[in-house]
Amino acid sequence: MVSSLRIPALTSLISPSFTRRSTVSLRRRLHLRPPLAAGFSAQSAASSPTETEDRVDSKKSGRVQDRGSTDRVITPRSQDFNAWYLDVIANAELADYGPVRGTMVIRPYGYAMWEAIQDYLNVKFKETGHSNMYFPQFIPYSFIEKEASHVEGFSPELALVTIGGGKELEEKLVVRPTSETIVNHMFTQWIHSYRDLPLMINQWANVTRWEMRTKPFVRTLEFLWQEGHTAHATLEEAEKEALQMIDVYTKFAYEQAAIPVIAGRKSKVETFAGADKTYTIEAMMGDRKALQAGTSHNLGQNFSRAFGTQFTDENGLRQHVWQTSWAISTRFVGGIIMTHGDDAGLMLPPRIAPIQVVIVPIWKKVDEKTGVLDAASSVAETLKNAGLKVKLDDTDQRTPGWKFNFWEMKGVPLRIEIGPRDVSSGSVVISRRDIPGKQGKVFGISMEPSILEAYVKDRLDEIQSSLLQRAISFRDSNIVDVSSYEELKEAISLGKWARGPWSASDADELRIKEETGATIRCFPFEQPQGTKACLMTGKPADEVAIFAKSY
Amino acid sequence: MAGGEKKKSGGGGKKKEVKKETGLGLSFTKDENFGEWYSEVVVNGEMIEYYDISGCYILRPWAMSIWENMQTFFDAEIKKMKVKNCYFPLFVSPGVLQKEKDHIEGFAPEVAWVTKSGESDLEVPIAIRPTSETVMYPYYSKWIRGHRDLPLKLNQWCNVVRWEFSNPTPFIRSREFLWQEGHTAFATKEEADTEVLQILELYRHIYEEFLAIPVTKGRKSELEKFAGGLYTTSVEAFIPNTGRGIQGATSHCLGQNFAKMFEINFENEKGEKSMVWQNSWAYSTRTIGVMVMVHGDNKGLVLPPKVSALQVIVIPVPYKDADTQGIFDACAATVVTLSDAGIRAEADLRENYSPGWKYSNWEMKGVPLRIEIGPRDLANNQVRAVRRDNGEKTDISRVFLVEQVKGMLDKIQQNLFDVAKQKRDACIEVVKPWDEFVKALGQKKLILAPWCDEEEVEKDVKARTRGEMGAAKSLCTPFEQPELPDGTKCFASGKPAKKWTYWGRSY
Repeated sequence: MVSSLRIPALTSLISPSFTRRSTVSLRRRLHLRPPLAAGFSAQSAASSPTETEDRVDSKKSGRVQDRGSTDRVITPRSQDFNAWYLDVIANAELADYGPVRGTMVIRPYGYAMWEAIQDYLNVKFKETGHSNMYFPQFIPYSFIEKEASHVEGFSPELALVTIGGGKELEEKLVVRPTSETIVNHMFTQWIHSYRDLPLMINQWANVTRWEMRTKPFVRTLEFLWQEGHTAHATLEEAEKEALQMIDVYTKFAYEQAAIPVIAGRKSKVETFAGADKTYTIEAMMGDRKALQAGTSHNLGQNFSRAFGTQFTDENGLRQHVWQTSWAISTRFVGGIIMTHGDDAGLMLPPRIAPIQVVIVPIWKKVDEKTGVLDAASSVAETLKNAGLKVKLDDTDQRTPGWKFNFWEMKGVPLRIEIGPRDVSSGSVVISRRDIPGKQGKVFGISMEPSILEAYVKDRLDEIQSSLLQRAISFRDSNIVDVSSYEELKEAISLGKWARGPWSASDADELRIKEETGATIRCFPFEQPQGTKACLMTGKPADEVAIFAKSY
Repeated sequence: MAGGEKKKSGGGGKKKEVKKETGLGLSFTKDENFGEWYSEVVVNGEMIEYYDISGCYILRPWAMSIWENMQTFFDAEIKKMKVKNCYFPLFVSPGVLQKEKDHIEGFAPEVAWVTKSGESDLEVPIAIRPTSETVMYPYYSKWIRGHRDLPLKLNQWCNVVRWEFSNPTPFIRSREFLWQEGHTAFATKEEADTEVLQILELYRHIYEEFLAIPVTKGRKSELEKFAGGLYTTSVEAFIPNTGRGIQGATSHCLGQNFAKMFEINFENEKGEKSMVWQNSWAYSTRTIGVMVMVHGDNKGLVLPPKVSALQVIVIPVPYKDADTQGIFDACAATVVTLSDAGIRAEADLRENYSPGWKYSNWEMKGVPLRIEIGPRDLANNQVRAVRRDNGEKTDISRVFLVEQVKGMLDKIQQNLFDVAKQKRDACIEVVKPWDEFVKALGQKKLILAPWCDEEEVEKDVKARTRGEMGAAKSLCTPFEQPELPDGTKCFASGKPAKKWTYWGRSY
């Protein structure tokens, strides 16, 4: 049993598939786009002083060119998805590469998305009875060894501290890759009787996994996450908790992030060792690859048996506790970026967007400027007072056209334009990010606060649901029902997700992975009615599974 | 009692024996064994759990919620100042770490190094941030180009690691702690100066209005300022029991020193190249430790209502033959009434503990107000409220419950501050000649002395007071200066004094 205790998220949150193609295209872009080289070249900076110098130098040379060009061009999404992703992250100022290979600086615009995720989930966690706490970042190496006999499995990913305060440490310390070991160590001391249960905690923290192939937000050496850990008196309670939390994640994905994830159960092969069951939400990215966006594990008694976490039940008998753990990370921000968006850049769901409305004042003559700016500020004030996140872009360094493109690229859901004619008519022009061109543009919306506020809020709601609808259509049109392995192979080769009845062996599942690159993403909770025959063996199957290539 | 066991002096990093459930209460008193009392109260109050790594502690929900309450306030305030949150990596490459010479000299001895990933040695060891100046500023250099990019105001909430070997103490000195660190860049020194004080005022607010701890705003001496910075301001608190000052939070003006090292330049409005002016500022989970030390008593923690996770604990006091269900219902109804009014209240309806046990339990945890409901209260449609800070008991009609409870919570908050201030003020001693200074130091005073403001003299004071208790040093030069008559001499050097400065031993 102990040997199967691999920590949850190591396998589940981060899957080791990063195609050659994306690495190559990343390099290619380095040559093509000198202005961005600064950020990307940091990727290679292992940390020696000379390399740091190089980075600074290339940045300085890049600076000149960037200043010269007014247009920030990004690779069209339809042309090269991965290049688009990296361009958008750089140009929309979501993140920058960190000084150490594989690390990332999360810039305010990207961090505000993470804050939106935190604000929502933190309230939900508390509503469902969880308390926040904080465990140390360092774990004695002996804990990790004790926890899993197959420590070799993930030891290559562990960052080890061996020197502190100028001295060699007596015992090397692991920089936490996840906290199950400490949590169980402490649970053992805190839990004595059934009255101490359920024990339900959560922490917001950084974790470290020394990954070789990284990608901003999706896979970085250090990332931010929340990890929930609970202990219960019965299996039923633990199961209920695990399902409840995947449900919290699912609602968040749909209602806030406008990502129509498919919630389900992992196959035995994909369940992390140590859990009895792993539940997951799987999201389809714009390139139709799957992203595992959150997981919730029913750990059964596997950890409590390994750690001796016991309680005295109502009859005075010693029992092992039943546990769960569940996590969502900054990877989710990557999921939002890759779900929405178009050739012009990001397209943020209003409930996640750091800026929901951008106001662009337009004037030509100097005598028009004051009137336009006054109107623009009062509109900004109106909307701010209504609780909206508003940005007034009143700099005179850029043309309105440049600003339109810039804020489109940043994915701001609504744009309000105010020109001299609008000022005299007491109205504004409003454009939707999700409907490009004239179709998404409405003239003559009154500046009268109550009318404007109601109009803007309605449009934001519409955009929120239209992004979700669009993502649902995209998802559904890219899932193919298959009834044979041939059909599955064809669907996968077309880049689609394949859904079909499955009751074959683990070996068959691994064979599919080897031959097609696709894995079982989940057995979805929503199952079609009727009798089914396994697509591989033709034998009766209880459930359909979804197969796809994934990040 | 656990007192029979030999405990490590100073209540250091070693794990304590876990007390059994029957042994409520503390085995040490605040006045007699302050260090042991502190280590015990943070554990028994369920704030901290000791951990196998010395100097690393687990912050339990009871402590974390205090941190979150302060965080909610501070985060909203700095956002009003247009500071934005972000996140920079934990890992620092040695190259950038060593860029600022004074800075690295200040921090190098305390750095923890990652030298391996799995089994393989890293080509270059990687440091874990002790603070993020050197991580962030290369990016400031990259992101700041023209005067329109200024001011750049960023903050991050994160953990930092300082591998110190001196006696670790929960919250006060731990090897890993949580904090916020703000890093800002401006076009002019005036803007930077202004922000230093704005932030310092927020820190004062946290201490005085939230934690009910009196602090002194002032400026650090050259010797005590932040390594590599221009000047450091701080809020200083004082722990009467140990006679030690404690730096509460710091707001630094870094000047242009880092800008020079990291080439953080911008083109000003005239098209000329100039260097930015920078600040950095931080407060940490140390705040919680200061709060425990200042307010705690022999029954346990005493939490100010503004930061406490629970402001009111409601306890049923059933008697034999009494209407137990009626009492329980009244407790539940009281919690609902208070919660609806925005007061953080809960009922302790556990049936396996006596009311007396529960009183002790919640006193240990420091909940500001206890409400008891027994048969007589039920009959009179009233509740009995007991204050944690002074034990005062009041019967409150359930008709006026919310107003009365709110009023009492306000009074508790104010009283905690007043008492703390009175105790602190009683420790302040104004001294002039050296022998008075030595005497006051021996009496654990917070010493206000006229000083010539010379670095050598401060070093000399340190050398002359070195001993088992640790050397005295300057704590801060308060912004509010008493009058300094002409001809006043420095307490230590006899040279003409330039200012009044607080001195003492410190944490």
